[in-house]
Amino acid sequence: MKQKKGLDKVTIAFIAPAFIFFTLFIIVPTISSVYYSFTSWDGISPNVKFIGLANYKEIFTSARFGNALKNTVILTVFISICENVMALVLALIVDNVRWGKNAFRSAFYLPVLVSGIVSGFIWKIMYNYNFGTFNTILKNIGLEDARQDWLGNTSLTLIMIGLVLIWKGAGYYMIIYLASLQSVSTDLLEAAQIDGATAIQRFRHITIPMISGAFTINFTLSLINGLKVFDQINVMTDGGPGFTSETLVYLLYKVGFNEGRQGFGTAVGIMLLFIIIILNTLQQKFLRSREVQM
Amino acid sequence: MERAKKRLRPSHVVLFVCTILLAVLFIYPIFFALMSAFKSNGDILKDPVALPSSLYLQNFKDLFEQSDFLTAIIHSVFLTVVSELLIICIVPLAAYAIERRKSRLTGFIYTYFLAGMMIPFHLYMFPLFKEMKIFHIFGTMAGPIVCYISGSIAFGTLLYGSFLKGIPLEIEEAAQIDGCTPFQTFWKVTFPLLGPCTASMVILNGLNIWNDYLMPYLALPSGKAKTITVEIAAFVGQYSARWDIVFAGTVISIVPALAIFCMFQKYFVKGITAGAAKG
Repeated sequence: MKQKKGLDKVTIAFIAPAFIFFTLFIIVPTISSVYYSFTSWDGISPNVKFIGLANYKEIFTSARFGNALKNTVILTVFISICENVMALVLALIVDNVRWGKNAFRSAFYLPVLVSGIVSGFIWKIMYNYNFGTFNTILKNIGLEDARQDWLGNTSLTLIMIGLVLIWKGAGYYMIIYLASLQSVSTDLLEAAQIDGATAIQRFRHITIPMISGAFTINFTLSLINGLKVFDQINVMTDGGPGFTSETLVYLLYKVGFNEGRQGFGTAVGIMLLFIIIILNTLQQKFLRSREVQM
Repeated sequence: MERAKKRLRPSHVVLFVCTILLAVLFIYPIFFALMSAFKSNGDILKDPVALPSSLYLQNFKDLFEQSDFLTAIIHSVFLTVVSELLIICIVPLAAYAIERRKSRLTGFIYTYFLAGMMIPFHLYMFPLFKEMKIFHIFGTMAGPIVCYISGSIAFGTLLYGSFLKGIPLEIEEAAQIDGCTPFQTFWKVTFPLLGPCTASMVILNGLNIWNDYLMPYLALPSGKAKTITVEIAAFVGQYSARWDIVFAGTVISIVPALAIFCMFQKYFVKGITAGAAKG
């Protein structure tokens, strides 16, 4: 089968459709966005003015970009850490619970199925000051003072959006941890047990090293997904109050569509791509260094 | 997976009870949405935690009367089904050629596809819409569809590639000796063997397309109903006082996804783990 070095007609015919779609609708617009990031394009007018590095200069000097970057880092780091801890706990629970493993796995996975918009709406209502679930429960158990304007309180907004994402995302990463936990060899665990290792020692010295590959993958995935959060912010806060929940993606969207500054928006997108490339490179490094150890 | 120990210990019961509590926490928001869809607006506001008192269907009636939600449902179904069909026609072929006819160039194309996975949609959406206008597909269903196809290629090639490794070459060779063309060999012999992989890809992609917001919101013509997700987002702004209607919409969005999940659970798991294994 693998007789030819170059490309024969069949191979070309098989790959061509995918290659054309991929190039035309992902690579071409990506390359043109590099160009547009050096312009003051407004998205509508046909004449695009080249302004050199002005957009990037604005990125590095404007307070709004700094604020969006800060929000993105807070939200992403918060989500990634909590999501992974949660997902690992869920996976350990599902792996060890005696009855109803599959039912519990499904229950924890259900939120993944809900769309970003719908999950944002449901939680927005639950967070509502007057009629929301949280405040109603607090009132019913006599903790009226603890009631909050969950999304309006600027020191809580990002955390509250983060909670929705953790709820929605943990089940996905749980599946990956679960597969990895189930690949930990039972023989090894039993041998350690016979040698007198306690459950905690076994977890610390056998399970954790064995699942660290899954951890690296999950952490990177959750960081990248965290950077791209859009739907929940759109429906819950629209970036507000003020600019407290405006992330890089949201800033890009707002300047592009509401303020007609798509050139600047694209430059923000380029920064986002750089961050993602860096994260991916770090992931590859970590995975490779682990392979050497094994 | 049997951990050998059969004796019941108190720790098992404690863990079981904690797991139930945690599961309730995870399911509650979805349950809350389903429940609220069958309550009148007054009841939702009066006591959000209470169960509906009777099977109240007025919200669904209002939803379809006050908006063009039916069109939105048709659009969502159309986008999901047509994109999936085209994805199945395009992606497995490419993955097959890359995996089975390894050369420097196919290797390069594989890396090229995978590198594309890193590019966030938000980065290239402005030039993309401009490009769509040039092709005259902006504001038509074809716009989102071509993007969903392009967006599925990287993950699809990865998924199919890893499954293809497990399918013996001998079967394909036998088919070729019997006189099948490469095209026939693929569709009649290999593709049926890739069934579980196709199922995983269709399901995971389908969920993303069904739930997508930004693409149909921006690329479909304004002033008309777009997709279920877009309509729900629009209601949240428009009918901010009529939560009952929005909840009815959320149920219509969630229930098909739940049904598919219940029927094809194992394919969700397979797809996610196979995708992650390759990172």
